[in-house]
Amino acid sequence: RDLFYTNDVQSAIILLPGYPNSSLQPNATFKASVFVKKKLVKLVVNFLFYFRTDEEEPQGALLLEQCRVEREDSLVFSIAFLDEAERKYLFECDSQEQCQEWVDSIIKASYEFMRKNLIFYRTEIHRLTGKDPLEQYGIEDETRFQVTSGLQPVQKDN
Amino acid sequence: MKIHEKILTHYLSCTSPVDKEGYLYKKKERTSSYQRRWFVLKANLLFYQERPADRHLLGVIVLEGCAIQHCESEGGLFAFSVVFRGSGLKTYRLAAENQLGQECWVKALLTASHCYLALLVRDLGKQYEAEAKRQAGPGESSQHSSVTGQSSEGLTQSMVSLNSCSSSFFMSVPVRTEGGNHRGSHVLQAPPMPSKVTSKRSPKLWPKRNAHVTPINGPVSAYGEWPQVDIDPLEDFTKLHEYYGEEVKQLRAEWLKRRQEGENYLEKDLIDLSEH
Repeated sequence: RDLFYTNDVQSAIILLPGYPNSSLQPNATFKASVFVKKKLVKLVVNFLFYFRTDEEEPQGALLLEQCRVEREDSLVFSIAFLDEAERKYLFECDSQEQCQEWVDSIIKASYEFMRKNLIFYRTEIHRLTGKDPLEQYGIEDETRFQVTSGLQPVQKDN
Repeated sequence: MKIHEKILTHYLSCTSPVDKEGYLYKKKERTSSYQRRWFVLKANLLFYQERPADRHLLGVIVLEGCAIQHCESEGGLFAFSVVFRGSGLKTYRLAAENQLGQECWVKALLTASHCYLALLVRDLGKQYEAEAKRQAGPGESSQHSSVTGQSSEGLTQSMVSLNSCSSSFFMSVPVRTEGGNHRGSHVLQAPPMPSKVTSKRSPKLWPKRNAHVTPINGPVSAYGEWPQVDIDPLEDFTKLHEYYGEEVKQLRAEWLKRRQEGENYLEKDLIDLSEH
């Protein structure tokens, strides 16, 4: 199981609350060629940014689309991208609650997830009220908000 | 800063919906000549490459915190730009071959951002819950199913995590290592919400914002400043949308008017919607 970010040395990223000026102590332990590094990780829109200790510029970013987020154990969650299913990025949190929060937040941050929600609400509101809720915003024809074939199609009134 | 390219290219080529794709002309920064590129808009990401079949990505623009502006026609092309305000940030100058193309792209880009979608989802979520409750009747627990049981909380959570960013970040995105070009850096920040609706006609010139801009093989830019970001996650979507809606209505009216006026309109009749 691949750990984050380096090839020859295994490392895990430990999550901290998202404040850039929080003090980070790099915590390197050696355990049979395993480094454990603390990095600041920040969720912004559908990207997960990670930072080297005390740096303000991100070191890298992961696009949170087409990925699977899983709870690995009480403090650890993983992100796997669908193109590389064997490779998991592991994240260790400070508490169980925090771990769950991160899992939920990352799932909900995906644009595709949000789009599905939108289509669901659009369809349901139309079903319940007979009105397409996107019409009031003039965006009912936008490609990105169209109902996919799996759901009941929205009827256009015009 | 490195955006994992494989993840990007995978997303680009996977089966999730393409919101818009087509050829556009992109102005080269230094030579100010236009180059034809294949653009693909998916979610809040605008990918571009030389040709549709190319496996190699030339760049991706993250459409957060940017303004989409009309430009005067140049050389028979219908130009518009994606403007990221802030020092060290660039403007992408694009152009379509015809007015319809320009209109469609501008409209698609205007509604592409993650924040826009987040607000829209939140708004519809509220409408849905209100409607479901209303129909369930008093004294009954509403049995509405929902894709996410805590959608509004979850969104608020995500919004809160966005809100905690009080500074912006620079990103340098090397994907190809040709010439060791690792120094392209652009300002990134959590997507801003307008704290007030401006009365200007230019598209969404929100005060104090920067953006995610990630050209994969971008040019070198200097570091800029790190402005504060005012984010109000509780901004009412309807206000945001009224602003959009007004703008789109006005733009449409102008386009229709221009079409009626015939093909040979003078350039000076074009309304310059750019900020300066």
